[in-house]
Amino acid sequence: MHNRRNFLKLSAGAAIGGMAVAMPATSFAKECKEIQWDESHDVIVVGSGFAGLSAALNTKRQGVGSVLVLEKMQVIGGNSAINGGWLAIPKNPIQLAQGIKDDSPEELVKDQIISGRGMQNEAALRQIANRALDAYELCIGTGVKFRDGFNIQVGGHNKARAIRTQHGTGGDITTKLYEAGVKEGVEYRLQHYIEDFIMDGQTIVGLKVRKNYRFPDIKTGSTVYIKANKAVILANGGFARNMKLREMVDPSLDPTLDCTNALGATGEVTLTAMAHGALPVHMNLIQTGHWGSPDEGGFGWSNALLSIGWHQGAAISVLNGKRFMDERADRKTCSEAIMKNRYPDNSPAYPVVLFNYEKYKDDDRVVRALRDKMAWKLDSLDEIASKFNIPAAELKRTISEYNGHVNARKDPLFNRKMDTAEVLTGPYVVSRIWPKVHYCMGGLKTDLGARVIDGRSMSPINKLYAIGEATGGVHGEARLSSTSCLECLAMGIVVSETIKSDAQA
Amino acid sequence: MNKCILTLLLGLALSSSVYAGDLVKMKGKTQGRTNHEFIYQDGCQGCHQGSGKKNAKDTACVECHGEINSIPVDESKLAIPEAHPHKSLHYNQGASCLACHGEHEKKAPVCAECHRTWFGEM
Repeated sequence: MHNRRNFLKLSAGAAIGGMAVAMPATSFAKECKEIQWDESHDVIVVGSGFAGLSAALNTKRQGVGSVLVLEKMQVIGGNSAINGGWLAIPKNPIQLAQGIKDDSPEELVKDQIISGRGMQNEAALRQIANRALDAYELCIGTGVKFRDGFNIQVGGHNKARAIRTQHGTGGDITTKLYEAGVKEGVEYRLQHYIEDFIMDGQTIVGLKVRKNYRFPDIKTGSTVYIKANKAVILANGGFARNMKLREMVDPSLDPTLDCTNALGATGEVTLTAMAHGALPVHMNLIQTGHWGSPDEGGFGWSNALLSIGWHQGAAISVLNGKRFMDERADRKTCSEAIMKNRYPDNSPAYPVVLFNYEKYKDDDRVVRALRDKMAWKLDSLDEIASKFNIPAAELKRTISEYNGHVNARKDPLFNRKMDTAEVLTGPYVVSRIWPKVHYCMGGLKTDLGARVIDGRSMSPINKLYAIGEATGGVHGEARLSSTSCLECLAMGIVVSETIKSDAQA
Repeated sequence: MNKCILTLLLGLALSSSVYAGDLVKMKGKTQGRTNHEFIYQDGCQGCHQGSGKKNAKDTACVECHGEINSIPVDESKLAIPEAHPHKSLHYNQGASCLACHGEHEKKAPVCAECHRTWFGEM
């Protein structure tokens, strides 16, 4: 398909800035290079998670032309396909049916401002929250099923507004968005790795792509050039699986922490964008999910299991048998409290979370956790003390004191909201906890329309857009749970509108 | 496609001592699956887009085996019913055959990255 030729004078001068020094190899130094395009599309989407799939489908629906999605892995869905399927939607129908009438996009933004600790982008958060019902409708319209009657309050939110997909995985959403896209004419390709951007000054004109790539071997496949007539949308996700980058931007991050993400979350497209002038922000703000378990791989069951544990149970340090945090605080607060549990040699002293077995024994969150041996049913506090090497007398004293606080509906130790807490009587479900690296708040700076900002001109790079975890500065210091899926789906809608308007300008 | 299946059945009958899908020496040092023996008789181009140096694509698999959702698996061997790899809750039709299957070497399926106790190498 070497039928499209384009002669470009690629400006070397504009691109050789100080930032380019430590960046991956780029093609901007090839002056007067003749690009022989192998193919051409109107819109190219990089990545196939929530953000990329939403952007592809919505851009297609905007009628701006042909849409091609490039995914480097051998499966569609990125990290979203293995996420927990939680979605924060103020004023969702289930919430309204529960009688919760006082929620609003603004209430969500209020929570996110507290969690962002002054570093968040309030206007971006407000725009996303205002599109929440559109994101919900996008899901319903493509056949995504959410759990009947299920809408709960999750960490850091002041209202019950988090709904969950039928099978408790983002895959329930990615598979439907993908299959809808296929039906509506979006083209998807696996094993396509972005080697470089082809720039013409401050405009992206196409991509240098390695097709038939096999992760993680960069020598596999062969190079093709794909022209992008109207837009390149970066939806390549975070870089939590890129250990070198993780360590460089946040040396305090414990290198022994496991990661929840799919293996492809390595962020090289973000680095390539930076090499071409895109401004990165907040790269050192990397979130650990406090609900990880050392007894399973990936994201796992632990998060869902602890949605019972944080509410109806208690977290106990194995070092002294005591509670050590407000179990319902946000991720950052809990992560820091959990990681303080160390043996004298600094190795992790995994705390345990326990709650009553009988009431939840048929709950799927418990059944599968016990089945896959990342949680245990134990009959007495003595059994728990013995299995996890906790001082037994102290554990019993702690639980007795805790039960008093449950009855009083008041937690004088950590000021936890006790409305959902239950007196612990045993037998118990017990699991171990330790944070996992989960989410990158940092990434590429964009304007509200998702246009990527060039750090030298402080103006958008023409035709280059970024959405989802690949972007930075939206959430600030800590992202609240169930808000990433919302952001990705909503920004996929927003970017499609921006591209339509930019293409007409 | 019918010819493929016929040859496939013949291949199975001739190699009754090995299971379909077992990895054996095919050509030189190259290993392959016993049920694919007939394909090797025509060289590599049957799967490799005309040359062994080029990669194999899913279309080569689909030509004989059909689309992913229609290919049966032994459900009695699944850890739980939802662990059906050809109807994955995470990927469904969005998975390449190659994400789980290796023709020339044993490979753990993509599912095993997280569900470590559910799937072995194939």
